[in-house]
Amino acid sequence: MKAIIIDDERLARAELKKLLLDYPEVEVVDEAANAEEGLAKIESQQPDLIFLDIQMPGKTGFDMLSQLEKAPQVIFTTAYDEFALKAFEVNALDYLVKPIEPKRLADAVQKLNASEIRDNRQDIISTNNSLLTENDQVFVKDGERCWFVKLNEIRLFESVGNYAKVFFGANKPLILKSLNALEERLDEKLFSGPTGNILSISG
Amino acid sequence: MPLSNKWKTYWIFQAMGWGSFSLTNTFFAFSFQQLDKNFFYHLLIFLALGLMISHLMREIIIRAAILQKNLRRQAFLFIGLTLAMALLASYFKLETVEQLEILTSKDAQLLNRPDFSYWINKMVLVLSGGFSYFILFFIWNLIYFMFHYVTKSQKQQMDTLRLESLVKELELQTIKAHINPHFIFNSLNSIRALVDENPQRARRAVTELSNILRSSMHAEKAETVTLERELNIVKDYLALENMRFEDRLKVVYEIDEDTLDQPVPPMMLQTLVENAIKHGISKQISGGIVKLISVFKDGYHELVVQNTGQLNGKVNAEGFGLSSTTNRLGLLYGSKAKFDIRQINGSLVEARVQIPVEDV
Repeated sequence: MKAIIIDDERLARAELKKLLLDYPEVEVVDEAANAEEGLAKIESQQPDLIFLDIQMPGKTGFDMLSQLEKAPQVIFTTAYDEFALKAFEVNALDYLVKPIEPKRLADAVQKLNASEIRDNRQDIISTNNSLLTENDQVFVKDGERCWFVKLNEIRLFESVGNYAKVFFGANKPLILKSLNALEERLDEKLFSGPTGNILSISG
Repeated sequence: MPLSNKWKTYWIFQAMGWGSFSLTNTFFAFSFQQLDKNFFYHLLIFLALGLMISHLMREIIIRAAILQKNLRRQAFLFIGLTLAMALLASYFKLETVEQLEILTSKDAQLLNRPDFSYWINKMVLVLSGGFSYFILFFIWNLIYFMFHYVTKSQKQQMDTLRLESLVKELELQTIKAHINPHFIFNSLNSIRALVDENPQRARRAVTELSNILRSSMHAEKAETVTLERELNIVKDYLALENMRFEDRLKVVYEIDEDTLDQPVPPMMLQTLVENAIKHGISKQISGGIVKLISVFKDGYHELVVQNTGQLNGKVNAEGFGLSSTTNRLGLLYGSKAKFDIRQINGSLVEARVQIPVEDV
């Protein structure tokens, strides 16, 4: 499993890298000191997993995630930020507080391994990397609240001017992406619908 | 007020009231040349009953807790009680005077009017005699209620003042105890990384962190500390931040040695420096500079914290650090101390505190 560590403090990155030496299945291929660097390295390395600090200079970890077309697995690392973590809905969130407790890291890695095996079984057919499949997740941020959403949980995209509204569960946050941009990346088999909306047929 | 004091005040008031009443009466009797033995008997009986009945009235007011009732009921009870007490006193006076056979000729005549029965005549006399008691008891009650009203409102004022100063003290304590948990955990994390990489630096960092924690925990009783002492904490703090930010943070000190003995509110400079890091340096990808200046200028001790960054009006004005700084300066120096924060050029933000220098 390829991983990237994104944290503005060199010592924090060094410490996490040292802790991860105990888990050969997690291979740290690169690191980044801010969101911009992080975006570039995610693009070039295509990691399966990122360790992400929330408070960073320039953009926060959340801002960075919402700029990604498709979010890899994310484990947040933060020193103390109850507020930011509360912003999250319950789904798909794992976070570690710094200084990281080795036991918590072990749990997080184990959980990742489990979901990796499950996803691989379903992903065998879709090998095309540029298209998003139903098991890919996107990061959705609306004001203070954020979610990780798997595409198969989404019922409907609705076009609102230059933005799009995403319907899943009981939520319908607005995202800063146009419907056209989304359409280009979505697997045709998954979503189809009349003009204006993209409907999910799998969910 | 202690009980014995209350007792004393009450009897002084009683003596003064009834004393001045007797003096005026004697004076008038003297001017109208009615000073005879009977006058003094009447006066003595009147006084004794007045004292006794008004004392009884006080007992009733206390037992029935009339002063604790609402104002409307107080007024009703007050009038009713005065009337009842006046009639009671008047009745006893008449009885006594009759028993001692010193009725004035006018009263004796009235009491023996043949057209009416003895009891009706007596009632009329009691009513007319009750009038002067009513006036006196009315005044007595007015003074009594007024006195209690004034002492009560004075006590309330004192309580309010005491409460205000307590609130202020608590405010100061919470402000002092404030330390950023984000900073503590990040520092501990860096220290853990340094244990292998640079053990010497790690050991020093533990000392620095201990100093900061200790100083913030000892929510000191003193309202001010010397700048030197405050600066020690700030230096430890910045050394730790330097460990975290490495070459992204550059610290410059410009401290006039003469200002080191100046009193400053504890943890105030620390809060400003923390803000400079939190809102300034930590938001800059390539980091920046934090500059501390302490000088005397125009009769003020001027403390300045400059940092690389952009002033974001909304976030800063509401931040805990800045409002607490303004509040603390206000509590300690009134309107004589000044605090402002502004963008001094394209990339520098300056927070400035001016504390009046006390004359030596």
